[in-house]
Amino acid sequence: MKRTVPLMIVLVGGVLMMIQYFIPHRISQSVFDSYTTWIPIIGAFALILGVGSLTRLHGHKVRHRAPNWPYSLAVILSIYLMPVFALLLPVSVGGGMNSPSVFDFAFMHILVPIQSTMFSLLAFYIASAAFRAFRAKSLLATVLLLTAVVVMIGQVPIGELLGSWFPKLGLWIIDFPNNAAKRAIGLGVGFGILATQLKIIFGVERNWLGGVGD
Amino acid sequence: MKENIWGRMLNLDRRWIFLFIGVVCIVPFFVPFGLPVIPTRHVISIFDYIEELGPENAIFVSFDFDPGTDPENMPMAVAITRHAFARHIPVFFTANGPLAQGMLESGFAYITNPLSEGYFHVVSWSEWASYREMGITDRSELEAAWEADGHVLPDNAAGWVFEGRDFAKLGYLPYFSLVILGMTSSIAAQYPEDMNGNPLVEMPMLQEHKNLREVDLATTFSGTAACTWWITFGREKIGLPVAFGVTAVSATDYTIFIQSGQIVGQMGGLRGAAEYEVLLQQRGYFDKPDRAFVGMDVQNAAHLLILFFIVLGNIAYFAGGFHKKGVLLKGRR
Repeated sequence: MKRTVPLMIVLVGGVLMMIQYFIPHRISQSVFDSYTTWIPIIGAFALILGVGSLTRLHGHKVRHRAPNWPYSLAVILSIYLMPVFALLLPVSVGGGMNSPSVFDFAFMHILVPIQSTMFSLLAFYIASAAFRAFRAKSLLATVLLLTAVVVMIGQVPIGELLGSWFPKLGLWIIDFPNNAAKRAIGLGVGFGILATQLKIIFGVERNWLGGVGD
Repeated sequence: MKENIWGRMLNLDRRWIFLFIGVVCIVPFFVPFGLPVIPTRHVISIFDYIEELGPENAIFVSFDFDPGTDPENMPMAVAITRHAFARHIPVFFTANGPLAQGMLESGFAYITNPLSEGYFHVVSWSEWASYREMGITDRSELEAAWEADGHVLPDNAAGWVFEGRDFAKLGYLPYFSLVILGMTSSIAAQYPEDMNGNPLVEMPMLQEHKNLREVDLATTFSGTAACTWWITFGREKIGLPVAFGVTAVSATDYTIFIQSGQIVGQMGGLRGAAEYEVLLQQRGYFDKPDRAFVGMDVQNAAHLLILFFIVLGNIAYFAGGFHKKGVLLKGRR
């Protein structure tokens, strides 16, 4: 029962949605509308499950003073305080239109700089990696190196100063050799996804059941 | 064994590299180069497409990115929105995640900040309620009636934007890919209210554009593959024209959609945003380009420095004979 019911739901739901996509009829559309209404509702329960699981995991670490437990405390405080700020203090503490609410302040002045900083670090590591690893060790490595240089310089205005052909060559590399390779990879990935989805819908692939019924 | 100069060069402490990158990223802000940015056809095609639209049309501007890619994606979204506002094209704003909704708020605040030059002055939904009651919802009539009542556009403003007539902030809903699918049937069914709690069905722009089939363009700004949702569920299902604004690292992933004709065009990275800003300036919409153009100086310097390091690394590698030895040096930090 624990295995059959979920498999049936996936089979019926999967096949129905596949067929629905190709039938431009009112009934088909209403089936689709009710599906799209249900999915966020189910997702809301998953959210409760996720927050509960996260709280239990990090609560355990804090209680037992596990290594790096202060990070767990930060997770718990953040996950609960941000909704509290949003719901209980929706307006500015200081008042006035230009003074942001606590939630806005935490978002704009804590979260945004943290994420931006993490992403910005890429520039430093890319520079270091380019110096260390970009070597013309072989013919293929040399082709890769030259391609990278042309595209990189073609992307910035200095490339146009070096010669108008520079950005054009960079764009040509992106438009033709790059597109050919990307299309091949995309088709491969697409067929892989299709095969996996069919295996799940028809019950061949059952890992998502988490071992229930084995 | 004592290292020669090439060996020492290859073993350069990476903290020096970090320092150089830090310096070249900061200096251009104080000493701008102002090198010209020449728009490419991928960006011109988006600009020209929007040039054909007017108050009777509508577009979506979807903030599908989080703070990590804000420096690249935000200027694109800002440039497109300013273009649309300048042409009085109604804009629906959406976001594909909770953090993206914060980006939407931030971008909108930037465009409508009264302290900045060329901002758009917002008239909120409640402020022009009396005009709606009088049946004035046409864009040009509304602006004329608003100004006839003594409202004066501030000197540093580029124009009025009426909430519900010129824009609607729809924001984020969970499972955004399904939201796009749902909007192909009805926008109001997905978003009964906007982010400010205003009823969407009463908004003139929604009454004229009830679903994505009645929308003329969807622009998505993203640092992930989320932008392709608009193709899968918008372009392919109902033929919705789509334009991309993506980060530089992912730009090459999506040029296939330009070649296949599935997207109108694409802004790739900060460069794409700078190109759009230059087009806005060249066509007389604004006096000067915005933040992306300034940022291009940093990219210029950083790209040149990285190129310098690549050349230096290869010179040291070959001149030191390390290509023959086939061993890596030890003790590298």
